[in-house]
Amino acid sequence: MTTVIYTAHDGTETIVEGTPGVSIMETALRNGVPGIVGECGGSMSCATCHVFVSDETAAIAGEMSELEDEMLDGTAVEREERSRLSCQIKLIEGETYRVTTPSEQV
Amino acid sequence: MATDITTAPASTGRCPVDHGQFGAASHDASGDSAEDHYGYEPFDMTDPFPSYERLRHHAPVYFDERIGYWVVTRYDDVKGVFDDWETFSSENAQAPVRPRSEGAKKIMDEGGFTAYSGLSARVPPEHTRIRAIAQRAFTPRRFKVLEPTIRENTIAALDAMLASPDATGDFLTDIAYDIPTITILTLLGVDPAMVPTYKRWSDSRAAMTWGDLTDEEQLPHARNLVEYWQECIQLVVRAHRDGGDSLVSDLVRAQEDGAEISDHEIASLCYSLLFAGHETTTTLIANSARVLLSHREQWERLLEDQKLIPGAIDEVLRYSGSILAWRRRALKDAEIGGVAVPKGADILLVMGSANRDEAVFENPDEFDITRPDARSHLSFGYGIHYCLGNQLAKLQAKIVLEETIARAPQLRLVEGAEISFGENLSFRAPTSVPVTWKA
Ligand code: HEM
Ligand code: FES
Repeated sequence: MTTVIYTAHDGTETIVEGTPGVSIMETALRNGVPGIVGECGGSMSCATCHVFVSDETAAIAGEMSELEDEMLDGTAVEREERSRLSCQIKLIEGETYRVTTPSEQV
Repeated sequence: MATDITTAPASTGRCPVDHGQFGAASHDASGDSAEDHYGYEPFDMTDPFPSYERLRHHAPVYFDERIGYWVVTRYDDVKGVFDDWETFSSENAQAPVRPRSEGAKKIMDEGGFTAYSGLSARVPPEHTRIRAIAQRAFTPRRFKVLEPTIRENTIAALDAMLASPDATGDFLTDIAYDIPTITILTLLGVDPAMVPTYKRWSDSRAAMTWGDLTDEEQLPHARNLVEYWQECIQLVVRAHRDGGDSLVSDLVRAQEDGAEISDHEIASLCYSLLFAGHETTTTLIANSARVLLSHREQWERLLEDQKLIPGAIDEVLRYSGSILAWRRRALKDAEIGGVAVPKGADILLVMGSANRDEAVFENPDEFDITRPDARSHLSFGYGIHYCLGNQLAKLQAKIVLEETIARAPQLRLVEGAEISFGENLSFRAPTSVPVTWKA
């Protein structure tokens, strides 16, 4: 099973079963998880899918591209060390992902 | 919020009594029936919204034989087609709506015109490759560097307008024309003195691609397109020769460092950006003034709380987008909203209608700068072609509103001035926005 655990800014947790190959952003939208907007549909052009990932998730989420790094300069809530664009993290079979969503995306 | 949309069934929120609500009150005798296309006139941008509403209710996906396009008007359908790039390609997005006349063709062939599209009408894998290279130039990190210059230009333009002795101006030509055009020319290393030239070329591009021109009318525009394209080629030649600090020289350097992009592709990107990069932003800035000033109470809320500006800009984009319709082509037999469309079908996605779909937006015809879900609008498209310049466009509109509020809070529309919109299949741009600040 592939699982994503979303923690909202206020601490509310939503646990969703994901599909391998689908992004964390898209998984949130498909399941009505609040806190992620994903305005551009995953083309790395809006930065409204900003999340903070846990250390374990950072380790399995893959390297961040230079472009993603630059796009993170435009998030609504200031980026932190564990910031990622959730449209760029594709789920891998059998893994569990933990992300916290920021208070604002726009 | 976008999540509500994906989960809401397409039929919720629609009036169950379909016909009654379009009685005599809402429109005249025309527009009632399929024969007259529910009043939809593809090139008439004066006030297309009532006809969109009728189409959403009676014929949300229908073939319009006058233009040869399947017209799609519901939010879920428009977004769904944008999202499914494997079925619906953008290859026709830059095709002339009306065939090029023999005379125009001759001028363009002889002038060496070989441009088609920088990005928007390219398809994967080529699109993916070029977009990844171009996108590096369009990140917030780059925009932040530009911000002070944009602000200076805005202040200069406002001061010049406000110096007018009769206390009247045209927000379109005095403010909205120059600011985004100077920005994109600066970004591409072009002398800002060329603004009028690029505006002339851009008008020709809009007319030749999305307009309804006679053969004769096409000729001067064809000449402009030749000049425009030749200049784009020269930009690349000069960047190779002189280097420099611009987006064109960045792309040329990337190529020299091994990035897979040809000179023709770089010139095509310039051709794209020197149009897309200002035309629709000019419209956004003009519309921001036009719509906000005609809803005075909302303008006044902005004066009190500038934090409302970004939301207001998204609401302007939803309520009165710069581009109301964009094109796709079906690569195989497909279905849109339960209607079968054949392989090869040309499709017109009416974002201007999707943005007012009552199944998604509450009281969609109301302009409300605090609407929580304004940002779900589709005015920048969606998916792999999602507008590369969305943040730059919004940044510029924000700066203009901030500085206008600071300098001319008393600004209002000239009373009784009729604002008209040019004829076009896709672009809805006001031809003037007369304003005054007389006491
Ligand atoms: C209010 C202003 C603007 C509006 C309403 C707008 C709208 C659009 C739309 C509807 C598309 C097609 C999206 C799709 O097919 O899914 C698009 C694509 C594009 N826009 Fe914009 N745009 C604006 C400003 C800008 C600016 C300022 C730039 C550049 C500086 C720009 C550059 C582009 C480019 C390069 C594409 C093609 C992207 C691709 O095909 O991958 N736009 N825009
Ligand atoms: S969804 Fe737009 S950048 Fe991730």
